[in-house]
Amino acid sequence: MEKAGVNTEVDGKTILNQFAVVLRTGNFYDADNVAVKSAVEKFLNIANPAIEAEGVFRIDLIGEYFYINDTRVRYPLEYILNFDYLVREFRRRDLGSVIFDAPLGVDDVKAFLKTFINSIYSNTPFEAMEASLEETPGIRVEKLKRVREEGSLDRRKIVKKSYFNAVSFTKGIMNKLRAGEKVSLKKAKRVVESMVDTLLAEEQLLIGMTAIKDYDEYTYHHCVNVSVLSIAIGQKIGLNRRALTELGLIALFHDIGKMEIPKEILNKPTAFTEEEWRVIMRHPYWGARTILKLKGPDKISIRSALVAFQHHINRDNTGYPKLHEPMALDFYSKIVSVADQYDAMTSSRVYSRVPLPPDRALSVMMERTESQIDPILFKFFVNMVGVYPIGTLVLLDTREMGLVYECNPLFADRPRVMIIVDKGGKKIKGSVVDLTEKDSTNRYTRSIVKTLDPNKYRINLAEYLL
Amino acid sequence: MVVSSDAKELIQALIKAKKNLRIYPENNPVYVKTVDDIYARITGFLDYTDPLTLKFKQYEILFDGDVVYHNEEKEESLALFFFKDGVRELTFKKGIPRDEVEEFLRVLSVDFEREALDDDIVTLMWEKDFHYIQYVVDDAFLIDDETYEETAVSQIKGSSADTEGILKAYEDAIGTERAAKINVVPLTNDDLRSIIQEIENDPPDKTLNLIQVLFEMFFYAEGKAEYDELSQFMKSTLEYAIGRGNLETAVYTIRKIRSSIKEGLYDSNINIYLRGVEQFVNSARFINLLGEVLDNGVEFTNDLLYEFAVLLDKNAIPHLIYILGELKNISARRATINILSVVGKKDISLLARGLNDGRWYVVRNVIYILRQIGERNAIEHLTTAVRHPDKRVRKEAIRALGEMGSGDVLHILKGCLSDPDESVRITTVRAVGLIRTPLSKKILVDEIAEKSFREKSFNEKKEFFEVLSRWKDGDVIDLLVKILRRRAFFKRMKNDETRAAAAYCLGLMGVVNAMDHLIRLQGSNNRLLRENVRAAIKRIKDGKSRG
Repeated sequence: MEKAGVNTEVDGKTILNQFAVVLRTGNFYDADNVAVKSAVEKFLNIANPAIEAEGVFRIDLIGEYFYINDTRVRYPLEYILNFDYLVREFRRRDLGSVIFDAPLGVDDVKAFLKTFINSIYSNTPFEAMEASLEETPGIRVEKLKRVREEGSLDRRKIVKKSYFNAVSFTKGIMNKLRAGEKVSLKKAKRVVESMVDTLLAEEQLLIGMTAIKDYDEYTYHHCVNVSVLSIAIGQKIGLNRRALTELGLIALFHDIGKMEIPKEILNKPTAFTEEEWRVIMRHPYWGARTILKLKGPDKISIRSALVAFQHHINRDNTGYPKLHEPMALDFYSKIVSVADQYDAMTSSRVYSRVPLPPDRALSVMMERTESQIDPILFKFFVNMVGVYPIGTLVLLDTREMGLVYECNPLFADRPRVMIIVDKGGKKIKGSVVDLTEKDSTNRYTRSIVKTLDPNKYRINLAEYLL
Repeated sequence: MVVSSDAKELIQALIKAKKNLRIYPENNPVYVKTVDDIYARITGFLDYTDPLTLKFKQYEILFDGDVVYHNEEKEESLALFFFKDGVRELTFKKGIPRDEVEEFLRVLSVDFEREALDDDIVTLMWEKDFHYIQYVVDDAFLIDDETYEETAVSQIKGSSADTEGILKAYEDAIGTERAAKINVVPLTNDDLRSIIQEIENDPPDKTLNLIQVLFEMFFYAEGKAEYDELSQFMKSTLEYAIGRGNLETAVYTIRKIRSSIKEGLYDSNINIYLRGVEQFVNSARFINLLGEVLDNGVEFTNDLLYEFAVLLDKNAIPHLIYILGELKNISARRATINILSVVGKKDISLLARGLNDGRWYVVRNVIYILRQIGERNAIEHLTTAVRHPDKRVRKEAIRALGEMGSGDVLHILKGCLSDPDESVRITTVRAVGLIRTPLSKKILVDEIAEKSFREKSFNEKKEFFEVLSRWKDGDVIDLLVKILRRRAFFKRMKNDETRAAAAYCLGLMGVVNAMDHLIRLQGSNNRLLRENVRAAIKRIKDGKSRG
């Protein structure tokens, strides 16, 4: 685990945001419009000192993220729409980098703006931009580089390690608690910090891990999955690293009360009796108790107890435990509830053997917004996992079949898909294709036409995703 | 060229800094000098070697492959300090600002043995999110089973994909022409605003929410052991809340307990435990915590303090009196007095026990509180306080008697007119004046008539006359005129002082009939008499009589 950063980030995000404002405004108004002029002036005021100080000022789009002079820009929530816009527009033009070599004038920015806007009408927008900008010294562009696949195996290894460490740690904690032994919160924090780091660097890979379900170790995987998905939602809504750790830790412990459920009930392969359901529905109560016994009240234990108690209570206060008085749900409870419902629905559990396919689970959850889950958090969630979450079995319009391998946060319906059956109907050990890829006529090369339930056909996701 | 000896010096400087930052506050010159020194050393180092990387073994620190530090002392070893939490490498990069060096040193100086922290050094560094300091850690010690990943993966992969199943899926998919349903839900600015608002409005203190949950949990608790456990959680939550300056949670809790019991929400066994929680708020433990918070400068609104005080019962009184004597902060004492002024009414005798406190200021404050409460049954407790060795206490008690008493306390006050301290006597005169009975007037007149009265200071005499002036009757005027006209052959100066005080009083009363007598004295040789006479004449002429 290595942690670093460069201080350009502080100003970088502001400059990048203003850059997006210039482009967005320029897209709506004429270059001489007062709104555009004002946006350009503001951009120059903040960008030029940075260009002067740094000599060269590079804006690179790598994967989903922007980097300024090689430092990844972490952007706050209020900038998210502008950044998404920028990523989308860069991609539409195959634009990977904009490089400012010298302080800019108003005319330079206007020239860039004009080039940028007009390029979209070309069949080869990047080349059009490159040619047009030859007359504007001080601004250069570079083509979008595909994220290199060579390193992806290593990245996958690191992510896998971080994920399974967390599962192993959770298992250890649960066993210790069962045995009445002390558990170390320090270690728990470290495990979650590692997950937060992994998620910030490799969001899609870590989310992908949650698609791999282990029936035998469901409880531990579920705790980690809910933690990962909660952190991911937290990141999308702009929580800082410390808050993400808190949220991750709290989510990790949300089901700790299940430890109290007798194993014969938890592992019962047949339907539960009413009495057994009554026992199961006590786990939020036990969870809150266990947490408060484990640790005296402090910021984290209080919120953990709240979430453990509330994670099955719906927005309209239905659900369980049944409340005797109305209660406002904690913000983290609402986040954990979304993550919990999704993971539970898509997992094969002892008491619910057949899981829902991811896209179907989202549909069910969609129906539950308003009364059960927070609709806005759910929107963030869908935008994060995509309309077709990782692990969804899809048929493409090319008559190929594949598994969703990685989501695209900018194009929720255009993930990266691992092809497992070719267009001839032959099973293959697949290559990964990006559904945002277009052909020379600017039409998408592949699109999803149908989803199927991988469980119905006993397809083991782990074989493809691990 | 950087050599190992420089690195050795840097390590020693870091060890020194670790101690210095524990001892000295950040505004102390030693603290500042220490940070400056380390900053200079690191940046000096980086001028030649960028980055600067230190590697950690259990008892050793290495720089550039050389051991630059070795210490096997468990308590002191800087190498072990980092190593035990998994830090294996620490790198400083060029451009590091002084602030980041300082933040790093603050992490380094945390005394993990003393401070019961849930964080280790890696977490603390992680939370700082350093930009110019990188570290490599080994997380292996976090998990018990290092082979878990391997075993789990092979287990999960165990049942490999069934070719037939895949092909069947394909066949089924191709066979139907149904298009996939796509539900893209774009985020809007309103969504963002709504989330930002929710994050901003999310209260940092969740104790009240936890209390609400604990009340719900009582419905699910089974047996006395669980009731007891939940009530202990409630108490520790209240303790935690008040420790952070949150009194609202306690107010909510007591109210909720009372209403729950009144409405019969829980069974009687649970109510026993809830009453225990209610009592906890009246306990020394809780009240002392409240005192600490108040003394640390936390201020509550008067309304909240009042709401809280109303909910307390008499058991809180002795603890509140105790903290009243311990508090250093004046606004903290004021808040405590305000609480006692409300809760004290519930048991005046218990409150009055504070009059026996060995600390004079506590006794004075208790008298003040009794005065605020104003109940006549406090009078009996105050009668002894007028003989307290500290004059400040005696004065407060006399004031209280004057405000609360009637004729029945005059005999006590009369005795106080002989107090050895002039300020106490003056306070007594005023107190007597407050009880406007004929007897109180008589006490004052008799005292003035005493031969010894002449010996009193001008201020004290003036006080007597001023108080007496509230009775605007003929007796008083006659007495004043008589004094004004009184001549003396011996101790003339003292006599003139008394006359001056009488003149002042006639002026205050606006006695026109005394004008002739006053005019006669306006040319007196005694300056004090002359000035007071002239002031009185002017006052009468201007028609500015009091009241």
